[in-house]
Amino acid sequence: MPDMDLVTTIPRTPLGHRMAWIVASLLFVFGSWLIGHGVGIHVKAIAAQWLLHHAWQETLTTQQPIKPWPWADTWPVGRLLVPRLGINQIILANASGQSLAFGPGKVGNGSSFDDDSFNLIVSGHRDTHFSFVQDLQLGDLMTFQTIQGDWRRFVAETIEVVDSRIDTLPLKQKRPDLRLITCYPFDAIRPGGPLRYVVTAGPVTPRVVSETGSTTIRSVGAKGRGMIVEGG
Amino acid sequence: MKIRRFRVCLLLFWLLSNLGGLPLPPVVAQPAEDSIQESVGKKTEGGVLLKTSSRMTPIPAPLLNTTVTMTISGLIARTTVSQEFSNPSDEWAEGVYVFPLPDQAAVDHLRMKIGERVIEGHIQERAQAKKTYAAAKVKGQRASLVEQERPNIFTTSVANIAPHAPITIEIEYQEVVQYDQGRFSLRFPMVVGPRYIPGQPQDIPEPSSSQHGLGWAPNTNHVPDASRISPPVQHPSHGPLNPITLRIDLAPGMLLQKIDSPTHPITITKHEANFYQVSLQHSSTYADRDFELIWTPLSQDNPQASVFTEQRDGETFLFMQLMPPTSTSSAQKTMPREVVFVIDTSGSMGGTSLSQAKAALSLALARLTSNDTFNLIQFNSVTHKLYSTARQASRSRIHEAQRYVSGLQATGGTEMLPVLKQALVHMPNHENAYRLRQIIFITDGLVGNEEALFTLLQRKIDDSRFFTVGIGSAPNGHFMRKAAQFGKGTFTYIGSTAEVQEKMNRLFLKLEHPALTNITIQAGESTFDDILPNPLPDLYHGEPLTVAFRTTALPSSITITGKQGDRHWETTQSLIDAKPRRGITVHWARQKISQLMDQQTQENDKALFRQSIVDLALKHHLVSRYTSLVAVDVTPARPDAQPLHTHALKTTVPHGMKYEAIFGWPQTATPATLYLLLGSLLLCLTWIWSRRYLAHR
Repeated sequence: MPDMDLVTTIPRTPLGHRMAWIVASLLFVFGSWLIGHGVGIHVKAIAAQWLLHHAWQETLTTQQPIKPWPWADTWPVGRLLVPRLGINQIILANASGQSLAFGPGKVGNGSSFDDDSFNLIVSGHRDTHFSFVQDLQLGDLMTFQTIQGDWRRFVAETIEVVDSRIDTLPLKQKRPDLRLITCYPFDAIRPGGPLRYVVTAGPVTPRVVSETGSTTIRSVGAKGRGMIVEGG
Repeated sequence: MKIRRFRVCLLLFWLLSNLGGLPLPPVVAQPAEDSIQESVGKKTEGGVLLKTSSRMTPIPAPLLNTTVTMTISGLIARTTVSQEFSNPSDEWAEGVYVFPLPDQAAVDHLRMKIGERVIEGHIQERAQAKKTYAAAKVKGQRASLVEQERPNIFTTSVANIAPHAPITIEIEYQEVVQYDQGRFSLRFPMVVGPRYIPGQPQDIPEPSSSQHGLGWAPNTNHVPDASRISPPVQHPSHGPLNPITLRIDLAPGMLLQKIDSPTHPITITKHEANFYQVSLQHSSTYADRDFELIWTPLSQDNPQASVFTEQRDGETFLFMQLMPPTSTSSAQKTMPREVVFVIDTSGSMGGTSLSQAKAALSLALARLTSNDTFNLIQFNSVTHKLYSTARQASRSRIHEAQRYVSGLQATGGTEMLPVLKQALVHMPNHENAYRLRQIIFITDGLVGNEEALFTLLQRKIDDSRFFTVGIGSAPNGHFMRKAAQFGKGTFTYIGSTAEVQEKMNRLFLKLEHPALTNITIQAGESTFDDILPNPLPDLYHGEPLTVAFRTTALPSSITITGKQGDRHWETTQSLIDAKPRRGITVHWARQKISQLMDQQTQENDKALFRQSIVDLALKHHLVSRYTSLVAVDVTPARPDAQPLHTHALKTTVPHGMKYEAIFGWPQTATPATLYLLLGSLLLCLTWIWSRRYLAHR
């Protein structure tokens, strides 16, 4: 081992001794700092979702953008449920780096507050909120609750890996699809790769309008919450 | 002791082996195909499909090389844009290129050059021109078609480009140079910036339909021709596209103080006392931003008026430019204002544009006085107001606004209609009724639904005044000019951070000096119709009065009156020594088409205007929304057995714009795992080292 030489060659003087301790403690501090950051990312991802669920309830009642915390630069625009995997996540208004740390975000056109009439694109971090995406299977049911409280149901139809340098983001599709996008491969260590994992889910039933079935919605919501242990 | 050390080594080994053995995402330089295949091999059972498009080796598209030659003499510029399409493949090709021209360009000539032969293009009604072109294409004849999508977006289609044999398309246009606050300028756009397309996608139209395009955006209910104005954009990792060379012969007609370009490094050669040649310094320039040339006359050599005429079919066409009345009064400075700042924070503003916009906004905020009230609205996919209504511009509020501005980020779409509606909402009451209401709209204007915006502006502007500040390297010039026109304000461009201060100062002069309003032109006994523009716009500080009209009997002089603040303003201009000059008729016709198009946006009976535009454009050989230039070489070139491949030519991302912000896929991985692994590794190393060190002591 190379460090054997390093250890044995350190001069046994008081100065050498002190140097060794300084280097060791620097390494220790830096290592702990890195671990802290790594853990912090996960803690932030989970804690933010908890706050976001509260903001979402308020959003549904007020129909206004509600910031989950005063200095937030994003706000909830939807809720995503995947019953089979016990997923219940609040979706944020944009997919910028800052925002994705707290929750999955709606991409591009979809981030409009009052226009959910066509396809939804949601992206999330592959190692935090969207790690479940790798477990999705064709035929999985997903539900998206819009700001108006409507529930839109989808079924996973295709799963693709695309190269972000070649393919353009499918921002506008005629069919009201739901697309979940996350980075690929899931177990890569370095972030920033060009590949994306895309799950496309087609609509199951036509949109339910809240005015006509507020009771239905409440029951679905309750059922949804009952099934889920804790998302995020 | 030994056992423990062994265990630590094992742990380290495990960590290291994981780090090396895990499939790291490929670096950009690596070919993507390998990594995809590798990943797919693993995941096929889970139902992962590979997009075939990314693995096919497509037939290479024709390459484009553009040469621009401009001749500026006095106030009129004539430009030839020469597009050479070369076909690097072994197959016959059709190239379709969507490109910008200045928004007031009068395109009147098309030539197709095949080797030594030149085929002159003809003007036809658009649908007819399309048919002519399509028929020639099928017959294997070389053909080209130039269509107008917007006043500043055009499409060149070239059919039957033989393998390895180029075809050159020459497009010629005329325009009037811009004069403002003591200097002349001219912009030449080079790339159509990616436009935001609002609305719901529609069915793909038939290929023969006028709305069928090859762009990245599907047609929507709000932008029915979106696919025609959204040329595909090359990913930056594949390098820049579309090299361009530019040469300008400048005969300004007056002595110059200086010539320069804020957008490109230029070489200036002075030939005679008053003749200059300007060219781009860099031999490899790509079409990724607007070019701007600015020339400043020596102040004493600037003529007060320029009047030109041209005779045609018994009519006299006249062009007149009057230098602005110099006003030293700053009466308006004390006049209280309500200023609404609107800043575009959509994805296309990402990168350098947003920092320019912020800097401009910050200067404008600092300029407010406590007499003024203000509000600030940002918009992307959503609209956000700083205050519910305009507030007094106190120190602390300006400070608050500055903080808000510095925190802005660019992301999402460009939903301009809702923000325009909000900005135009004005509830006059006893407190704000006397205030001058100014809307400062800071944007790159990269949207596809201009017409809907103009209609709204026209209907709701009332007593507000709308000023556009065009940001970035490739702003939408058509939007900037027309929105300002309908909003009775004026437009400014900021192309780089270095320009912010100077350009904003020029805008402040306009905002703070009374404009010349209620302008009328009278000519004694003589009658003359069609004074253009109609209505005459208000003139802001430093703007000249530029008009074109036609008449059967030229009056000897005309009288122009107006109001500046509370003062009456009047001047008489003699037309006796008007010089004859070519191109005045074309200018008038182009202005007339522009006016008819404006009228069409507010009328329901579109067909009526359409016919007038077609007649006018056909008479003056002009490309318009309803007329196109088409050139056909009758000798068949492509043998029947050979197929023809159609290619949409790609464009480069405008300079300073982030590809990822518009077309990009979000970054969806955190460095958490990386941090955890490296951190544990370091801690382990520290621990082992200290153990061994202590053991040795």
